[in-house]
Amino acid sequence: MSLTCGGFGKAILISSPTMRTTFRSLLTAIAVTPLLAGCFASGEDGSSPGAGAGPAGRLRVALAVPPVQALSPYSNDATVLSKLSVAEGLTALGGDGAAAPALASSWAQTNATTWVFELRKATFQDGSEVTAESVVNALDHANAAKTKPRVLSDVTLTAKAEDADTVTISTKTPDPVLPLRLASPALAILSAKAYAADGTVSPVGTGTGPFVITKLTGKTGATLNRFDGYWGGRAKASGIDVTWIADGTARANALRSGEVDIAEWIPTSQAKLLDPDTRHEVPSVRTDSLVLNTAGGVFADPSLRAAAREAVDGSALVDSVFGGYADPAQGLFGPAVAWAADKRVEVTGRAKAATPAQVRSLTNGRTVRLATYTNRAELPEAATVLQQQLEKAGFTVRQDVREYTQMEADLLAGRYDALVFSRVTLLDTGDAVAFLASDFTSNGVYNIARLKDTRVDQAIASAAKEGDTAKRQQLIMRAEAEILRTDAVVPLVHEKVVQGISADVEGVLLDPRERSLIDVDTRLK
Amino acid sequence: MSNAPSTGADARSARWRAGVGRVVAGTTLLAAVALLPWLSGTDPALTVLRARSADQDPTPAQLAAVREQLGLDAGPVRHLATWLAGLPRGDAGVSWVSGEPVLPQVTTALGVSVTLMLGALVVTIAVAALISARTLYLGSRRRLRRGRAGTGAAAVAALPKFLLASLLATLFGVWLGWFPSSGWEGPGSMVLPALALGVPSGAMIGGLLDQSLPATLNETWVRTWHGCGFPPGYLARHALRRTLAGVLPQLLPTVVALVGGAVAVEKIFNIPGLGRLALDAAVAQDLPPLQTATLVLVLLGVAAGLLIQAVRRALLGPALRDGALPALHPPALPRSRAARRAAGFCALALFTLVVAGLLRDPLHVDTAARLLSPSAAHPLGTDALGRDLLARLGHGAVRTTGVAVAVTVVSIVVGLLLATAGKVSAGLTEVMSTLPAVLVGLLTTAVTGPSVWGAAGAVCLVAWTPYAAQAAALLEQERASGHLHASIAFGAGPAHLLRRHLLPAVLPAVLRNALLRLPTTILVLASLGFLGLGEQPPTPEWGRLLLENQPYAELAPWTVLGPACALVLLSVLAVSGVASGRRASLPG
Repeated sequence: MSLTCGGFGKAILISSPTMRTTFRSLLTAIAVTPLLAGCFASGEDGSSPGAGAGPAGRLRVALAVPPVQALSPYSNDATVLSKLSVAEGLTALGGDGAAAPALASSWAQTNATTWVFELRKATFQDGSEVTAESVVNALDHANAAKTKPRVLSDVTLTAKAEDADTVTISTKTPDPVLPLRLASPALAILSAKAYAADGTVSPVGTGTGPFVITKLTGKTGATLNRFDGYWGGRAKASGIDVTWIADGTARANALRSGEVDIAEWIPTSQAKLLDPDTRHEVPSVRTDSLVLNTAGGVFADPSLRAAAREAVDGSALVDSVFGGYADPAQGLFGPAVAWAADKRVEVTGRAKAATPAQVRSLTNGRTVRLATYTNRAELPEAATVLQQQLEKAGFTVRQDVREYTQMEADLLAGRYDALVFSRVTLLDTGDAVAFLASDFTSNGVYNIARLKDTRVDQAIASAAKEGDTAKRQQLIMRAEAEILRTDAVVPLVHEKVVQGISADVEGVLLDPRERSLIDVDTRLK
Repeated sequence: MSNAPSTGADARSARWRAGVGRVVAGTTLLAAVALLPWLSGTDPALTVLRARSADQDPTPAQLAAVREQLGLDAGPVRHLATWLAGLPRGDAGVSWVSGEPVLPQVTTALGVSVTLMLGALVVTIAVAALISARTLYLGSRRRLRRGRAGTGAAAVAALPKFLLASLLATLFGVWLGWFPSSGWEGPGSMVLPALALGVPSGAMIGGLLDQSLPATLNETWVRTWHGCGFPPGYLARHALRRTLAGVLPQLLPTVVALVGGAVAVEKIFNIPGLGRLALDAAVAQDLPPLQTATLVLVLLGVAAGLLIQAVRRALLGPALRDGALPALHPPALPRSRAARRAAGFCALALFTLVVAGLLRDPLHVDTAARLLSPSAAHPLGTDALGRDLLARLGHGAVRTTGVAVAVTVVSIVVGLLLATAGKVSAGLTEVMSTLPAVLVGLLTTAVTGPSVWGAAGAVCLVAWTPYAAQAAALLEQERASGHLHASIAFGAGPAHLLRRHLLPAVLPAVLRNALLRLPTTILVLASLGFLGLGEQPPTPEWGRLLLENQPYAELAPWTVLGPACALVLLSVLAVSGVASGRRASLPG
C-alpha cells in the first residue's frame, strides 16, 4: 500500500503541463484524490477507531515510546515485550524487588560464579518447545549482540545446557544479582527463529508469553493475539491492539475520547483533565535531582555546593510543576523502592554552606550554567523554579535547555555547572548498584557530576560485592549517604507516573519500574 | 536577465539555467546534509546509540561497536557515494538506528504527508475562496467602492497551526467525538489536521488574492467587458485567472512545504508523516533516512514548482509571451475607515499591553499562584509557574517583534535579490521552500553551535523563499508589460528600470506577504528552541510563551489566549497600519 501512496502523490504533480483545460479540472482532481487515495495506516482488520469498545475482549493500548528497532529486545523496545507480556526471561521481577520464577521454575547457586536453573515446561509461540538449548541460544545471542544490552555491560555470561531442562550459567566474576539480571527484558528467551543471521532479532511470533505479536506496522501500531499455548493459562483478553502515540496530550486525548482503553504515561499537565476513575498514579523509581559538576566551574567548591543544596527546595516543585504527581525527595531512592526508607542512613560530615554574601564573593561574577532537557516536559519548568531559588542564595544563573541528544555529549564532557536530571534509579537489573556505579564512581560512564571521592567509590564497591539481599540494601543506603555527603547531587522529587486506564478495564499492573502493564489477568469488564 | 521579449533561444537558455540552478541547489543541500554528523561535532555513534536505547551507557567500547557497525570511520564521502549508488536500484540504504530499509519507510511517510497536504490544500482553497469572494463578487459587478485592509484574513493567518490543532483535537476529538482525536486510520482522521493546516494557509493565500484582485478588476478590459454586458460570472472567472497567476507561487512555500514542515501538527494528531520522520532522523543523526527524506523533499519542491509554473503559463501564457500584460496597479479606492480604526485599536491595545507589562516582573516565579485565571492582580492570569502573563507578554514584545522584523527584512532583501537574478534562482527557491526550518536549524547549529542569533540565521536561510517566489512571478509579468518596453525604448538603463518600474511593482505585494507571515516567523523562531537556538528560558518571548503553555491550553486557556491574541493584534496592526499608511502617503 505504501508504494502506491507515494506514487499517487507524484502522479498528481507530474500531470501533463500541456494541459489546457487547466485549473478547473486540476482543482477537481486535487479535491477528489485525497478522499479516494486512502493512504492510511490500517484498515485491513476493519476495526474502525472511534468511540465504543474494540472487537470482543480486545484491549486497545496507547504506548508512549514508538519502536526504534522493530521491537528488538536489545533496544529501547525491550520493555514493550515485558509490558505486553509477549516474551519472558528465565526469571521475573517480584513485587518485593527479588527475582521470581518465570521460564525457570527454580534455581540454585552452586558457587560464587555458577548458578543452575531448572526450566519449566513451556512452548514458544511458534510451536517449538522451550529447551535448555533454546535458552543457551538466546543468551548467547544477547552476549554477542553488536551493542551489548545495558544489563550485560558489567558482566559476561556463559550459559551451558546440562540436560533438556537444566541450564548452568556462570559469570567471570561473582555476580550476586544474576537472577535479577535475567529478569531483564533484554534477556528474554525467544525461539531460534527469532535470531537472524545479520544480527537482528524479531520477537514477532517467537516469544513465550500469553500474547503473540501477529503484526507490527512500522512505528505506528501492532496487533497481538492471545497465545493459547501459554504455560500459565489462557489470557483473559483475546488480544491487544497497540498504538504508539509519542505526544502526551494526544495519548490523554485518545483515552478521553474512548479510542483506547489504556494510555500509559499521562503527562502531569494533562492528568487533571482525566476522569478521576481513569487516573491511576504509581510511585516511580525515577528520581529528579540537581546534579552539580564537582570537577570544575562554580560548584567545584564544596561550600558553594552546600549553599546550592540549602537553597534548593524540591518540595516546592511537587504541587506546582508536578501538579501533585511526585513526592518530595527523601534521598536518591524514593517510595517506589520499598526497602529504602527503613534502611536510610543519616548524612553526616557535609560541608558548611556559604552565605549569600560569601556566594557572591566566591563566585566572583561567574555564572552557573544550569542545563536541562526538553524531553521531559516538567524539567524545563523545574529548572526555572530552581533558578529563582539559586539566585536568592546569591548565585547568578543562566539556563541552557535543549533536546537531550543535542546536549548529551556536552554533559558527559562536563560543560555545565548544574543539570536538572531525571534518572531511573533501578536500571534493568532491578538492582540499585548499577545506577550508583555508573553515575557516581570515579570511573562511572555516566558520572555527570564528575565525582571523584574515594569513600563513595569504596561504599559502592562494597555494596556491589554483597550477595545477601538485606545486607546489600543496607550497603546501598550507606553509599547513598556517602554520595549525598559530597553534595554532588541534590535530590528534588521522586516522580509518580500517571497511567490512564478506562473504567471498563481491570487487572492492569501498576508497576513502579514501568516494566509490566498487561498480563494474563488483564481484561475488559 | 533579459528585458526583451523572450525569443526561442532565450527561452531555451533560460530553461537550461533553471535546470542547472535546481541541480546545483539540490546537490549542495544533499551534500550539506550528508556532512551533518561530521560537522556537528556530536559523535553520531552517541546519538544513534541513544536513539536505540535511552538507558544504554555510552562506554567507549559501545561507541566503538556502533561506529564499526555503521562504518563511520570511512568518512562522509564514502557514505554519500554508497547511498547514491544504491538509489538507481531503489535501495536507499538501511537506517542506522533501526537497521531497516529506508525507502519503504520514507515512501509510506511521504504518502501520508502528501495526502495530508492535499487535504490541507482543499481547505486552503476553500478558505481563500471565502476570503476573496466579496471582492470578486462586487468587483465583477463594478461595485467595488472601498478597499479592504484585510484585517480578518490577517487575524486568521496569525493563528498558530499547532494551537489550532490542539483546539480542534480537544473540541471535535475529545468533547464532541465527531472525529478521531489522533491517528491516521481513514479519511475521518484527515479532517482535523487538514483544517488545522489549511485554515491559516488559506487565510494567507486568500489575503494576498483579496489584495491583488481590485487591481485586476480595475483594468480597462474589465470595464470594457462590463460595458459590453458580459455576465459578472464570466468577468470574475477571467479576473481570477489573471490574478491567480501572481498568487499561485505562494502555494509552494505555504502548502506544499507542509509535507515536511508540519511536525507540530503531526505530533498532536499522531500522524506518521514525513516531517516527524525527518526530524527524528536528524536528531539521531541517522543519515540514510535523513538524506532520503531531504531528497524526496527537494524532488517534491522542484516538481511542485514546475507544476505551478505550468499552471501559470496555462493561465497567462499568450499574454505573458507576447508582452501584452500591463502591470497590476491597485486603484486608489478610498480605504474603509474600519482599517484605520482596526489599526488604531490594535496599536492602542498593544501599547497598553507593553507598557502595563513592562511595569511588572516577568521572571518572578510563585509556585503558589500556579495557573490563576485572570483577575485584578493578574489581568491576563498566570502560567504554570505562577508568573504573570501580562508581564511576560509586555517584556517579550520588543525582543520578539525586533528579531522577527529583522529576520523578515533580511528575508525580503534576499528574496528580492534572488528574484532579480532570474531563472537560476528559481531552482534554489523550489529546493529550499519545502525544506523545514528545523533541518536548517540543525545544520546551522552544527556549524555555529547553539547561539542567540543561530535561530535568526537559520530562519533567514529558508524564510526568503516565499518572497523570492512571489517577486519572481511579479517581475515576470512586469517585464512582459508594455510600459516597461516603452521605457526601454526611451533608453532607460537597468538601474532606472529597477528603481522606477520593477521595485514599485513588486515591493507592496511582497511587503504585504511579509506582514501576513510575521506571526509564522515568530513561531518558527521559537520552534528551534529545543536545539538550543534562540533566547534561552526563562527570557519571555511570544513564541516560547505559546509553546510552553500549549500543554495547559485546555486546563487554563488564558495561558495561550494572551500570547495568541498578541500575535493576532500584531498581525492586524501591521497589515492595517501599512494599508492606511500607504493610503496616506499616496498623493490625492
